[in-house]
Amino acid sequence: MDSNNKKYWKGLEELNPTPAFEALQKREFAEDLPIEEILSGKAVESTVMPRRDFLKSLGFSVGAVALAACNTTPVTKAVPYLIKPEEITPGIPNYYTSASKDGYSILVKTREGRPIKIEGNPNCPVAHGGVDAAGQASVIDLYDSTKLQGPLLKGNESSWEEVDEFVKKELAKVSASGKKVVILSSTINSPSTNAVIADFIKAYPTAKQVTYEPVSYSGIINANKNSFDKAVLPSYKFENAEVIVSFGADFLGTWISPVEFTRAYVSNRNAKKLKKTKKMSRHIQFETELSLTGSNADVRIPVKPSQNGLAILGLYNNIAKLAGAQTFSASTPEFAGNIISKTANELWANKGKSLVVAGSNDVSVQILVNAINELLGNYGSTIDLDNVSLQNKGNDAEMIELVNEMNRGEVGAIFIYGVNPSYSYPKAADFSAAMKKVSLKVSFNERADETSKLADVIAPDHHFLEAWNDAEPKLGTFIIAQPTINHIYDTRAAQKGLLVWANNPIEYVDYIKNVWNTTIFPQVGVAALQDSWDNALRAGFVQAAPKTAQQYTHARELTQSVVSTILAGSKVDAGKLELTVYKHTNIGDGRGANNPLLQENPDPVSKVTWDNYIAIAPATAKEMGINEGDVLEVASTTYSTTLPVLIQPGQALGTASIALGYGRTDAGKCGNGVGKNAYPFVSIVNGTMQNYSSVTVKPNGDSYELAQTQTHHSIEGRDIVRETTLAEYAKNPAAGSQSHHEIANVAQRNAKGEEERYKEGNVKLFNIWEDKEKKGHHWGMAIDLNACTGCGSCIVSCSIENNVAVVGRDEVRRRREMHWLRIDRYYAEVEKGTEGYVEGAVEVIHQPMLCQHCDHAPCETVCPVLATMHSSEGLNQMAYNRCFGTRYCANNCPYKVRRFNWFNYADNEDFDYYMNNPMGKLVLNPDVTVRTRGVMEKCSMCVQRIQAGKLKAKMENRQLVDGDIKTACQQSCPANAIVFGDINDPASEVSKLLKNERTFYVLEELNVQPGIGYLTMVRNKEKAAHGHGEHAESHS
Amino acid sequence: MSTNPSVFLKNYLKKGLLILTFVFFGVAQALAADPKEGETLFKANCSSCHAVGKKVTGPALKDVDKRHEEAWIIKWVHNSQAMVKAGDPVAVKLFNENNQSVMTAFPNLTEDNVKSILAYIKQEGDAIDKAAAAGPVGGAAAESKGTSTFTIFSLLGLVGVLLLVIWVLNRVIKTLEQIVANRKAEGLVEEEVEEEEKPSAFAVKLKKLALNKKVIALSLLTAIVVLSAWSVREMWFTGVTQNYQPVQPIKFSHKIHAGVNQINCQYCHSGAFKSKNASIPSANVCMNCHSQINEYKGEPIFDAEGEKIDGTAEIQKIYAALDYDPTTQKYGTNTRPIEWIRIHNLPDFAYFNHSQHVKVAEESIRAAKGLKAEDPVCYACHGEVAKMDEVYQYSPLTMKWCINCHRETDMKHLPKNHYYDNMVEVHDRIKRGEKVTVAQMGGLECSKCHY
Repeated sequence: MDSNNKKYWKGLEELNPTPAFEALQKREFAEDLPIEEILSGKAVESTVMPRRDFLKSLGFSVGAVALAACNTTPVTKAVPYLIKPEEITPGIPNYYTSASKDGYSILVKTREGRPIKIEGNPNCPVAHGGVDAAGQASVIDLYDSTKLQGPLLKGNESSWEEVDEFVKKELAKVSASGKKVVILSSTINSPSTNAVIADFIKAYPTAKQVTYEPVSYSGIINANKNSFDKAVLPSYKFENAEVIVSFGADFLGTWISPVEFTRAYVSNRNAKKLKKTKKMSRHIQFETELSLTGSNADVRIPVKPSQNGLAILGLYNNIAKLAGAQTFSASTPEFAGNIISKTANELWANKGKSLVVAGSNDVSVQILVNAINELLGNYGSTIDLDNVSLQNKGNDAEMIELVNEMNRGEVGAIFIYGVNPSYSYPKAADFSAAMKKVSLKVSFNERADETSKLADVIAPDHHFLEAWNDAEPKLGTFIIAQPTINHIYDTRAAQKGLLVWANNPIEYVDYIKNVWNTTIFPQVGVAALQDSWDNALRAGFVQAAPKTAQQYTHARELTQSVVSTILAGSKVDAGKLELTVYKHTNIGDGRGANNPLLQENPDPVSKVTWDNYIAIAPATAKEMGINEGDVLEVASTTYSTTLPVLIQPGQALGTASIALGYGRTDAGKCGNGVGKNAYPFVSIVNGTMQNYSSVTVKPNGDSYELAQTQTHHSIEGRDIVRETTLAEYAKNPAAGSQSHHEIANVAQRNAKGEEERYKEGNVKLFNIWEDKEKKGHHWGMAIDLNACTGCGSCIVSCSIENNVAVVGRDEVRRRREMHWLRIDRYYAEVEKGTEGYVEGAVEVIHQPMLCQHCDHAPCETVCPVLATMHSSEGLNQMAYNRCFGTRYCANNCPYKVRRFNWFNYADNEDFDYYMNNPMGKLVLNPDVTVRTRGVMEKCSMCVQRIQAGKLKAKMENRQLVDGDIKTACQQSCPANAIVFGDINDPASEVSKLLKNERTFYVLEELNVQPGIGYLTMVRNKEKAAHGHGEHAESHS
Repeated sequence: MSTNPSVFLKNYLKKGLLILTFVFFGVAQALAADPKEGETLFKANCSSCHAVGKKVTGPALKDVDKRHEEAWIIKWVHNSQAMVKAGDPVAVKLFNENNQSVMTAFPNLTEDNVKSILAYIKQEGDAIDKAAAAGPVGGAAAESKGTSTFTIFSLLGLVGVLLLVIWVLNRVIKTLEQIVANRKAEGLVEEEVEEEEKPSAFAVKLKKLALNKKVIALSLLTAIVVLSAWSVREMWFTGVTQNYQPVQPIKFSHKIHAGVNQINCQYCHSGAFKSKNASIPSANVCMNCHSQINEYKGEPIFDAEGEKIDGTAEIQKIYAALDYDPTTQKYGTNTRPIEWIRIHNLPDFAYFNHSQHVKVAEESIRAAKGLKAEDPVCYACHGEVAKMDEVYQYSPLTMKWCINCHRETDMKHLPKNHYYDNMVEVHDRIKRGEKVTVAQMGGLECSKCHY
């Protein structure tokens, strides 16, 4: 039987196949070898080589080879330390606690003094061991040889003495003139840095700090001030929410603290929760672009940006009616079978256990959201206004005012710290022009980026792995960051610079210790002793006892003005397309643009790498006569640019969306000129920066091929992903994974010699392989499709751990990306008449796909040189030095997870990302071979970690304990969706998960016996789009 | 050997005096001060910081009895810091002269003990004086002369032999020329006749043989077989660097360190039991001993070419690397790391872990390689390093070599390591007395070493 007759597709090509696409699908590799040409002689004719030349070159080659072969073994030097640091043992990694850029605690793995990998600190009170893709990739920025290697004064290389003298002299002048000194920074939640800035302001009383974030939460902060007299960003507790309603807040991808929210959100939906309670949270998402969060929602309603505020108003009115509170008369839209009123009822039924969030940066919208949450009694349970978040302090009003002040000539000095407004400010040209009116401009940025190149002085700050620092991401949670390497270039901590210019000779590390001894240790109730400091360094953080989250009631009533602002915001320019811009999941607001690992990490939904694009719904595109790959001229009233089109299923009709963070001009060699800048489409409305605009689009006649990893493999209608609904699951936990249980049954009978058949007409499970005994360890993995959000952190983690090469846009277009682990994203149309149906609505499943380590591996069967074979521990091994690149294995792999190495990426100037230069090589994992051209590679299940874990147990004379070995993907997963372990150990988490009723194996009917089991996705939805329920039951 | 009468006289006078002194002290302090006891005590307590003839951490102790009163010395030995604190001017001066390094207090040494030590110091000090007096004119000069005369004589001998060879060769050439001239004189005709007749006998046969197809085929075949065998052999051993023995920047002798001085391998190669790398010791490890031992006094050592190695100069190279000044005992900043030449080179795609072998599998490896109980397990692959002056690559380090060992080695450590506790089947086999090899435990699988 077919447990799942829902139609999934990876890309629109597959849904509406063209003959060309179909022809392509039949082929294993996108490009052919020019065999025909060679045989027909065309290739020879085109490159005529006279016989004599041929003989000459032949002779030369033979001679050269002979000479090369005559070489004696090269002399290798071994240079030991002169004085070895006590804590270093060559060959053994050291781990240090530190803080990520986002301010959560991490562990940094160093080898012989070089940081090579970032892992989450499992005890971190914020991220609980998760690290996002940007955090994983940040380690390679440390070795970026194109960063500034010392301070610049007026564009020339300089020394710190000269810089200090210059800055002090100029500051004295500014101070004397009475003009303002501004420190323009990104969010700083480091208590010590803030103290340094306060000291600086004391020394220069005209100084002030302006916090600028290109994507800010000013709307929420101001709304909280309005509603509760608390200008704070609350902590959201997704783990306590039974019903989550989000209006465009991408809280799993980019919104405030995605790593933290992912962990919390998934804890209410994963295998553990389902098994225990047979319940899970319900998530309804209203949004314009198909975001990572939207792709995980149970019900997702595409909404135009203009209707977003109205939808919230509608929800408010519905709930207010239920609560007997004040309502507002306004005509509000309904969607998809009265989903707004239904949602209101659900929320009301889950009072105090629900959460409504909105991504809008409009104060009025957020005031309304506050009112909804208050009516629902969510303050104190799912929203915490006492242990507030300090993760984003961006203040739009201050920034807007700063530009005015600069234009009026009131600012005498500006210090740029971690921000890049000449790129990211919506009116960047205005800002750059205003910069010219400031006499002293100092930047702490790592390179002469768009803003810093306008500065008089660039005093490059350390990379965060080189510096002492601290962070307070949540009130009362203090994270400490220690340097894991001496600073590589002649950089200096920005804090040290501010101290020097304020005439304070103290070293920043001593300053931090003072701050901790005088303010932080007393706050958390620890004595200010050396021991406390050492303990804090060891743990990575200290935490004050969290306050009890209080219930809050509004300080002022909702006024009609809030509603009228929202109504005013819903006006649409006739004839224009509504556009939203959004922070990108990988490269964020543009800070990750120069990181090749992030550029190559596919967008979680569109799977596009190395570009941004304008996403348009299929129906809208059809209506406008636009095809995939057309280049559009996108124009607002003030700005226009050209972008290729991506036809995005699930995009709200009549809208378009563009990712922010692209189109950098001075980001560095990897980020320059990648994509187009969308910041000018951000509009400043009601005093905040808002992420929508209205634009006209028209094709300019060009076409452009986006480098997508999405359609590179076809599923050919096979039953690869499975899902069910919560109701079905409650009735029958095996719902959706029926066929697995059937196959298991058939396999058992076959083993007894019975001729049981699998599926009508099919022969019994076909077995062309020798069955092996599974003795000792047998490594396997379980992936919970309900937990995996598809964020892509595992891909970057895997690439760094296993020295996987970055190949660049052109090679991705040729389908030659090297990722050992990919996340397949499947779309399915929401069936008409089922919950959440609107035209163009889609459901999405993310499925991590990596080598399945089949016990009957088809790849092993076809390798002519036995370069890939099975280990007794269930691993499908690759011996790179045996492989000579026939690619038969890739051909024969049903999962398409093998990657062929086309070039010597580590030593090729055409792949100038990070591996090919001496600095970049320092980040390579010395325990994993750097593969060369002409060999196959694939997931090894982190065999280096398995071997290290086994050895550690042997050295300590003990048995291996479940959890001793974690693969890189598992370690980084913020959702704990990937569980690795010994299947033969009945107590291991993985063996328990694989016995879960939801477990199925991909393509198990081929009897390849994969080592990785997936847990059927359960959607908390009234009825599955396809209604396979009865169908499944009839077979159970 | 000395011919200078005055020096001769001096030596004898000194010796006489020495004997007299010994006799005198011997009688006076027979019970109180015993230089033999003193030697034992000195070596146990003092020698880590003091030497008699030279300054180490503490000052040279020669003539200490002349510089200070015996009672003062005893007090100082018992608790020097108390004296410094009390403000004894001599003590304070001494303390400051020696970089204010605190001398350990020895309250448990009795007065007699200290006297014995002093007696030993005196005895040693006199011996040094004696050597100094005899040294420059006698031993050293004779030694240096001996070396140079030997060289000169051997060189002269060589020249003589060569001349002889030239003379003999000249004579041979002359004789040959004479024979040729004689023959020519005997007549050309005879020569021609000879040329026509001789081939008929032997050369024709040879020619016939050379044209024989069977012979041609056979010789071709032989050539091919020989050449192929040679190529296979050559290719087989390409990249195999067994017995590789490069000249190292410092002529470090494992024989002296591990053999003569019995230093445990792990003292320097501390990573071997912890990590995949055995690790070459950093220079600060050398300095643990060589801050004291700054000259080589052991048996003469020779390098592979038979040249004598100046051990003291080699020790100086450590100081040069660290920019260490042995007289002031200070480290400078002009450091130069020591670039050793790596002897054991595994290719990058092969993973080898020392600790896995020497710590986890020590027992099995010992049994497999038949090592003696007192030998370190390292000998299994590195050979008897303690007998090597210069280390060379003892094992071929080929994959075949690895694999063979994994095939043959019985896992004797398996029952004792709790890691294997759950593997009941193997334990049963071992109980039955069957051999369980590394290979049977998966030790031949690719990703055990290649990943």
